[in-house]
Amino acid sequence: MAGPLAKYAFINAKLRARISNILPDETFGQLEKAVSIDAALTLLRDTAFAALETVYSATGDLRQAELELLKKEIDLYKDIRQHVHPDSLELIEALLYQFETDNLKNAIRIFFDRQVRKRPADAGEHYIIYERIVHDIPFDIIVNARSFDEVAAACEGTPYRGLIRKFAPTVEADTSLFRMEVALDHLYYERLLAAIAKLDRKDREIAMRLAGVEIDLQNINWILRLKAFYDMPLEAVLATIVPGGLNLNKAVIHELYQAQNVTSVLHDVVTTQYPGLSAMLSARASDLASRLLLIRRILDEILKQEIRRILSGYPFTIGTVLAYFALKRNELKRIRTILNAKQYGIEPERIESMF
Amino acid sequence: MFTTQMTQLFAVALRRDCERVTEVLLRAGVMQFVRVSDLAEGPAGLATVRPEGELTEITDLRQRIEGVLRTGSITPRPPDEKDLSVRTVVDMDKERKALDRIAGECESLRERQRGISQEILRLEDISRQIDLYGLSMSEAAASPRHSFISMQIGRIPLSRARDFEGNLKPLPSLAVPMGQEQEMAHYLLIYMKRDREQLEKILARAGWMDVELPAELRSVKKDAARELTARLDKLRTEQKKLETTVAETIRKEAERLSSVWTTLRVNELLHQIQAHFKSSARTVLFTGWLPSEKRESLTREIRKACGGRCYVEWRDLDSRDGIQEDVPVEFRNPRMLAPFEMLVSNFGIPRYGTIDPTPFVMPLYLAMFGLMFADVGQGIVLAVLGMLGTYLLKGRKTHEGLYRLCWLIVWCGLSAVLFGALFGAYFGMRLFEPLWFDFHGIVAGHGSHSRTISDLFDILAITIYFGITVIALGLAFNWINMIRAGLWIDLLFDKGGVLGAWIYAGGIYIAFFMVSHDYKALPAGNTLFMLVGLPAVLLFLKEPWHYFTHGEAHGGKKPNLGLAFMSFLMQWIVELLEIFSGYLSNTLSFMRVAGLGIAHVCLMISFFTLAGMTSGAMSVLILVIGNVLVIGLEGLLAGIQALRLSYYEFFTKFFHGTGKLYSPISLRSEN
Repeated sequence: MAGPLAKYAFINAKLRARISNILPDETFGQLEKAVSIDAALTLLRDTAFAALETVYSATGDLRQAELELLKKEIDLYKDIRQHVHPDSLELIEALLYQFETDNLKNAIRIFFDRQVRKRPADAGEHYIIYERIVHDIPFDIIVNARSFDEVAAACEGTPYRGLIRKFAPTVEADTSLFRMEVALDHLYYERLLAAIAKLDRKDREIAMRLAGVEIDLQNINWILRLKAFYDMPLEAVLATIVPGGLNLNKAVIHELYQAQNVTSVLHDVVTTQYPGLSAMLSARASDLASRLLLIRRILDEILKQEIRRILSGYPFTIGTVLAYFALKRNELKRIRTILNAKQYGIEPERIESMF
Repeated sequence: MFTTQMTQLFAVALRRDCERVTEVLLRAGVMQFVRVSDLAEGPAGLATVRPEGELTEITDLRQRIEGVLRTGSITPRPPDEKDLSVRTVVDMDKERKALDRIAGECESLRERQRGISQEILRLEDISRQIDLYGLSMSEAAASPRHSFISMQIGRIPLSRARDFEGNLKPLPSLAVPMGQEQEMAHYLLIYMKRDREQLEKILARAGWMDVELPAELRSVKKDAARELTARLDKLRTEQKKLETTVAETIRKEAERLSSVWTTLRVNELLHQIQAHFKSSARTVLFTGWLPSEKRESLTREIRKACGGRCYVEWRDLDSRDGIQEDVPVEFRNPRMLAPFEMLVSNFGIPRYGTIDPTPFVMPLYLAMFGLMFADVGQGIVLAVLGMLGTYLLKGRKTHEGLYRLCWLIVWCGLSAVLFGALFGAYFGMRLFEPLWFDFHGIVAGHGSHSRTISDLFDILAITIYFGITVIALGLAFNWINMIRAGLWIDLLFDKGGVLGAWIYAGGIYIAFFMVSHDYKALPAGNTLFMLVGLPAVLLFLKEPWHYFTHGEAHGGKKPNLGLAFMSFLMQWIVELLEIFSGYLSNTLSFMRVAGLGIAHVCLMISFFTLAGMTSGAMSVLILVIGNVLVIGLEGLLAGIQALRLSYYEFFTKFFHGTGKLYSPISLRSEN
């Protein structure tokens, strides 16, 4: 069995060098202050994101530039997959599932809007990734499908087929894809946690911790969406929660819905494990939405601290790989948010709160 | 050798002369301003010269213009003295409106681009399907299972043709006109099956009537494919044209915008200078740092601008003022040292009044590199690559760091050539007699033809001597810095002070004594005591000295002497351990120079052995690949190790790197 040095020495050195290429906060500050989307893109000219400007100035279409960004992100995972030790391959593969899941959700949404909701086409099919991500899924069949049976048949040989068959009657009855999308997300996290469980003890602990914070963030994002768009009852919200969160399990979320004071929910976690964030607990949040937003900010900070902890600790673990992915994800998210904000003419002062 | 001597200027001028004085200060571009409000004993109750909002407004507009220009790939020219002398008034509102207009024009072009892009994507969708599954005339026909497109032929009243084509635009479809007949337009329609419902509505609105495909139109499939390609080509050309039009729209305005940008930049710089001023009803007060040699010329200019109606006071800093944290530091080295200045500033900026190590880094770094990478041929390759880099990067402001790095590679290459000639190495071969000794010969066990250097231990010894010299130089610099700062106690007790150096020198003597006696004898007891015992005992006084001289730190409480003694003892032991182990490891660390030099030779020997096992082209290929690998890998390693030794064994002895870089406001300022 390979030791940690043999497993991670190369990938650790490679990724640490790449981490130094992640855009600094100063660049994001300049991007936020850019007077237009064109001006923002020119600032990315001398960076690894130069292709965005090329695509945008050729088409004027930000969604195409974003698609380019997404493809780059997927290529990044595929590239790392080539360099990791076979023991970590399953984990990287599991992480790639998130892109396939999102792509599948987008494709199903296009089919569903046209076929079930009878809404006119919105050109969404042009922003689907038709190339293989993990499985050979013919996405054009899904986009052009006339029934869920055809969609499920297109997913033959993948873990999605069973789920689509199972939830098709429900989503058709509800005329909402919500339950199917939640089930697909759960599937992704189940696979991720299963892949983590197969790692050796030290790697498992690190990966579980980082994945736990990300699951917390995912859960909070779900809850925010449910509250804002559906105003669902607590029981339905609890059913959507992805298990495996680090700080927010079902009991905590239950309490969060009832509690008036956010500090009571996260107080123990923050004061014992992340004392540097204690000041955030004193922020006032009057309604549920602002309480949840505050928690998301705290969780974001917790994720950053976890990444810092990993990068300043023992280097020969899966942590460096996962920390790099998390940092890259954050970088791409920030770029995407800023460019969209510029497209819609949002004031620079408001952009920071959109991350 | 030391950082440039700086002078602080304090000046009071009449408010009416404020603009002229500011212009003089900007033209001179030598002052790093200090906010009057930040002065510890600054005057109270003074106002700002201009409201802060004005500066923000100017900066915002300038950045907006810069953003527009950059979109058109135009970099505005930094202002010069002429721009300062001949300034026009910028109508901010008018410029804002002009920018809004340009932004509007560009946005509408982008909007059109988006529309065309969508059209292209829709047609590409059809095209992809045709490529995958071909064309079928009806669903009933033997169409491939997964074909998503459908095709039909029909006619509509000519009067509705335009609307019909417009209504089809949001859908991925292709309507190929096939001629007109009696006020009716004939079309071949290709569309995605999934859009049938929407399409049927459009067809109904247009009064579509299906028509049988006549036999003579069987070639229609080819026509449709050709039509599709033609449309796509047309759209792509139009798209490209729009892209160019965006750039042209900006270029059309570029000259005027650049000129406004320059004027705004000058105003912004003037405002930035005045933001440091304070004013009373009739006077303005300002202060800042500048190199002492510029003092006279700037005074003359200020007085001239004020017509003599001003008060100027100077505070010169010399060595008696010691080392200062808040005084800006100017590097003043010849241009040839720029790559080495980069290495120094990468570590930190020296504190004002201390030694700037740049001139010493150059020979030390290059000597270390040369010892590790001694080969004339490989050195020439490195130098040529470096020269190529400098040629390609010259004048590119965004690649200034890379440009300097290329010069560093040139220097490293030259050093490798020099040491290669000394050791007689030419692409791993001995083409000429070595000028000093045969490094390859020693490593390969063939002898060196030198009386002084005959085996690997001699090579290791060279690097140890070299290391001792570097460390001694670092200690000497530390003493000089401390003497200039008047830190006499630290000079004595510091790890890099007199006692530390005494112990180090003693250690070196003992080590050489042992080596010269075949490791079988130590110096006499008295000598040993004088060499390391006495300074170690004297070092014990350090902590008590600090304890009793900073007595007030105990808060007036009576100190517990027993506890204090134990603490002194512990700290003394720890400090002694640190000094002994630290200096020993620092010195031995330089053996890596020999180690890498030996590795370099071993690699070349290996490649020659491999080449010897083959013949002809293969042998040459192995040697070429070997040299490329050695140049790439060993060159990188030698560069990193030389840098590591400079930073950790040399700089840590005297260099704090906590200084602030001198950055005056001038016409060339970038921020």
